[in-house]
Amino acid sequence: MRDLAPTLAAMLSSPGWSDVVVLAGAAERLPRLTGSRVLLEVSAHPEQLDGRLLVVLLADDHTDWRIDALISRASAAGAGGLLLAGVEPLGRGAQLLAGRLQLPVLGSEDPLAAHEYLRRVTAEPEVVRSDLVLRAVAALRRADGDLTSVLRTTSDVLERPVTLAGADGGTLAGEPLEAGERTALVAALPRVPVAWAAPYRVDLPTGAVLIAVAVVGVGPVCWLVARLPGVVPAEVAAVPDVLTVVAPAVGERLALRRLELERDARQRTSLLGELLHGEPSEATRRRAVDLGWQLDGWHTGIRIGAEGQVDVAGRRADVVEAFDAEGLRAVVVEQGDGWSAWITAVREPTATEVQEQAAAIRRVQRRLVQTVDAYVGVGRVQPGPSGIATTLAEAGDAAGLARGRAETGRFLHVDRLGLAQLLLAWTRTDTFQPAAQALLAPIKDQPGDLVTTLAVYLDTESSLAETAAVLGIHRNTAAARITKIQHLLGVDLTNPDERLALHLASRTSPTE
Amino acid sequence: MGTVIREQDLGALVVGVTLLGSGGGGDTGAFGRMLRRRLGAGELVLRDAGDVTGVSVSPIGVVGATSVLMEKLPGGGEFDAAVRAVSRWTGTEVTGLMSLEAGGLNGLTPLIAALDLGLPVVDADLMGRALPRLDQFSWAVAGRSLTPCALSEPSGQVIVVDNVDAAGLERAVRSFVAHTGGWAVLALAPTPVEAAAADAVQGSLSRALALGRAHAGLEPGATPAAVADGLGGRLLGTGRVEEVARHLIGDGGAAFGRGSVCVVDAGSRAVIRIETENEYLLALVDGTPVVTTPDLLCVLDRRTLQPIAVDAIRSGDEVLVLALPGPAWWRRPDRIIHVGPQAFGLACAPQLLEAS
Repeated sequence: MRDLAPTLAAMLSSPGWSDVVVLAGAAERLPRLTGSRVLLEVSAHPEQLDGRLLVVLLADDHTDWRIDALISRASAAGAGGLLLAGVEPLGRGAQLLAGRLQLPVLGSEDPLAAHEYLRRVTAEPEVVRSDLVLRAVAALRRADGDLTSVLRTTSDVLERPVTLAGADGGTLAGEPLEAGERTALVAALPRVPVAWAAPYRVDLPTGAVLIAVAVVGVGPVCWLVARLPGVVPAEVAAVPDVLTVVAPAVGERLALRRLELERDARQRTSLLGELLHGEPSEATRRRAVDLGWQLDGWHTGIRIGAEGQVDVAGRRADVVEAFDAEGLRAVVVEQGDGWSAWITAVREPTATEVQEQAAAIRRVQRRLVQTVDAYVGVGRVQPGPSGIATTLAEAGDAAGLARGRAETGRFLHVDRLGLAQLLLAWTRTDTFQPAAQALLAPIKDQPGDLVTTLAVYLDTESSLAETAAVLGIHRNTAAARITKIQHLLGVDLTNPDERLALHLASRTSPTE
Repeated sequence: MGTVIREQDLGALVVGVTLLGSGGGGDTGAFGRMLRRRLGAGELVLRDAGDVTGVSVSPIGVVGATSVLMEKLPGGGEFDAAVRAVSRWTGTEVTGLMSLEAGGLNGLTPLIAALDLGLPVVDADLMGRALPRLDQFSWAVAGRSLTPCALSEPSGQVIVVDNVDAAGLERAVRSFVAHTGGWAVLALAPTPVEAAAADAVQGSLSRALALGRAHAGLEPGATPAAVADGLGGRLLGTGRVEEVARHLIGDGGAAFGRGSVCVVDAGSRAVIRIETENEYLLALVDGTPVVTTPDLLCVLDRRTLQPIAVDAIRSGDEVLVLALPGPAWWRRPDRIIHVGPQAFGLACAPQLLEAS
């Protein structure tokens, strides 16, 4: 019995006692209520109470002297508290007396209901549990299809806040947890839960309790969390069962939502694939209109790449949200290990507008970095349906470059003038440099600084005279070195493809 | 033998009847001054009932709203008019007076009447303290009729009431005073002193005088316990008045203001609650009833030791709460039901001090 006795404070925060108020007595004292006894009216005499709550069904006048006398008798009989009908304030004498005898005096418009609830949680915890579970099952059957509705229904049944939290304690749906609760919850939960694990109970320093049940299904693990402001043992025992019943329903809603996401993503990805392959057909245009894509106008392509394992379909909503937050109306399509997006304008944007837009996209990236390790490339503004493919291709290239360039914040914007710069920049990338070094390796350690000679020769449009002049050597020396280079590398410097490859290679840190 | 009252005794007598008033009985100050003026340098003898023979005494006093006395002052002829009316109706000359109610101002009114009319006063009354209703006269409780009787009010109107029980008389009196001056002098039928005193509380005025003298004999700055000892009572507590709650309840036609006074004892922090109507009726200490009517509950100013009436007590007053033994006449089961707490609608058994 003792184990089931809730503290008065916990009872006062429990759903069955929502209309019970404290009229007098030590609120800081935390007596445990072992049960309750009913008296019809205030002049009746209670038997021995042993920590039970004395409930008085008729108490018209809270300033009556008989209330004082009853407080005295209840205290002498060892009551854990006194609950009177009605919530009118007590007389000063009764308040002082309750304080002096340390007997909490409560009031309720419906003392019988409060009595009944206390009796059930102290004497019949299994009834409380089965009642809650049955009500949850019945309510879920009526609940709407969406996740929010399921959580709200559960919350209504428990009369407690219910949250769907991610593994990091972040709120996915329902009422958000406070920061302190979130930390305590994350500390208590395992990283990788097992579906059959018992529900977790987290006792907070405030006296509140979090009950968490894992929702294991498709996608990352999340937790169904109920928050109980105080420990009513019967309720703490019942809530995990209710959550366990609800968890599969939540899992099902999550799976359905996931299915929808995947279907939409597939649709978008295939349509984009068709757009990227030349002029769109009538059918393609129609499907684009269905999805709300504007094919005409001026497009700015954006490629967002994500490092590591990222749930591209699941996180699309975050990306769209980030664009919305910056006031950009972007079409976002899941593609590979990231997202392709473009922004369409009716007329050609001015240079200033392009710069402003780029700055806004940069802010979008910063928003995303909080959850996704993203690198971003932005293409040039291109007109018409085929422009989407062009600008996205540019954006893709830029993103590839941005990935290795932490110094620019892993963000690159291809503007009109910067293509050559970009190309040059590309030669400094991690992918090109090893290739360049391998290409030039045969002439690297030869006498006569052959690498520099080759670079100058190609820069001066294959003029031996110019090369000799720039390097301050004799023309014959220059000719001999070029011959040696051709020999060592096994290339023909009159072949334009080979010239280009060597020219670029010579631009990677030549002095290295 | 009797008790002789001179000018120097009047102060003690006034305090004594006020203490017997148990917080009610009306303001004794005005009648105290009136009595002092009438008495002058003379003297008045309170006669023991056994010492007087062949006298027909009429119990006399003021009924109605005694607070109105301060505004509607006596004209001087009310006592005479009432006594003459009742004499005339009964055909028996009134040759002596006694008090209706020893507590409060009615402990003094028969003395004034006696001086005015030149009649002897018998040291007895029908309550032994102050009580609010006419059916609480010892005569009514003992089965003796209160009628015929006469009422006279300050503007000269006189009525005689006969052939009605105590409750009917109560109604008649209340409607009479309500439609005239707010108060009236009531004189009951002249009765042979032996019979009159047999069903009355004897020696109540000399008790008042003794109480008053004991009060006067208290040293300034006496401890609360010493005050209780000196007055022969029990100390319930000493402290500050935390709350005075007053509300009107309709009670069978006669509406008395019900209220409660809450005092917290300065030493023990015990919570003392006193239920009131016109008088202090019931005292609870920490929720336990300890003293009830017909014992006397008195609230004294802690500094001056003057009794504080129910209608004068205020939050913040520093007070002593005392209980004094009530009149022994009431300590019989068949009598106490008329004046115990149940008689005032308080569902509580009478709690009396140990008879000393």
